[in-house]
Amino acid sequence: MTTSWNETQLIETHLSGTAQPGDALVFEAKFLLDNTLADKVIWQQKAYHTIQQFGRRQLKKEIEIVHQQLFTQPQHTSFSQKIRRLFGKQ
Amino acid sequence: MYDISNSDRTTQRQELFIRLYKSAFPVVAKYVSRMGGSFDEAKDVFQDALVVYYEKVVTSPNLFSNDIAYLVGTAKNLWLKRYRQSTQNVPLDNLDVFDEEQETPSKTRLMRFLETAGKKCMELLKGFYYDQLSFAEIADEFGYSGVRSATVQKYKCLEKVRETIKQKALVYDDFME
Repeated sequence: MTTSWNETQLIETHLSGTAQPGDALVFEAKFLLDNTLADKVIWQQKAYHTIQQFGRRQLKKEIEIVHQQLFTQPQHTSFSQKIRRLFGKQ
Repeated sequence: MYDISNSDRTTQRQELFIRLYKSAFPVVAKYVSRMGGSFDEAKDVFQDALVVYYEKVVTSPNLFSNDIAYLVGTAKNLWLKRYRQSTQNVPLDNLDVFDEEQETPSKTRLMRFLETAGKKCMELLKGFYYDQLSFAEIADEFGYSGVRSATVQKYKCLEKVRETIKQKALVYDDFME
């Protein structure tokens, strides 16, 4: 019996193109017979995209924290002043 | 204000970003300033260059012999593309930039939903797919007993996120392209 997480794994293997030839054929056959599988493949692709966007948002938050530290904490004053001076006349 | 987990990996990244900021940001800021740009523009392109850099090194750790030169080059190109595009032609071949994702209200709502309701799963999936951690690293960081339980959890989470996106897409009419 295929559990749902096994199926999710099969979809991933299919999408990444790393399935063994025999498994790939079985998947293709299922894909043609089962409309819900085709639907899951489409939404799983969107899920990967969403995870990528989520990762990027989290990374940007981490970078912003570093920026705030460098431009507000006293131990980095000489660095921040050096940068600020470049834009002094604006 | 920020809700980033304080794991060792986050601390390591923070140290890396401070080092890169201190070495490369002055060069980028000087360039942008000389070109007539602002502090905020320099910050904007430098931070995006850091994202591009990070996404490259997680897949190929030894990709750059000179990471400072790569960062400065990417930031300069980004600045030219974003802030100088209308006044001069800039060759954009071989430019390492990611496509700016257009934020629609529904995408923002979906992301906020996933960041709160599905946070644990999203963090796990981010570890696998964005930070490219190994199963062993994932098991260690998220407290799974072994590779198998981390694997099962990964696919369960992926399935949950997939179904959430599908449900939300049916509710938000501007979700689909």
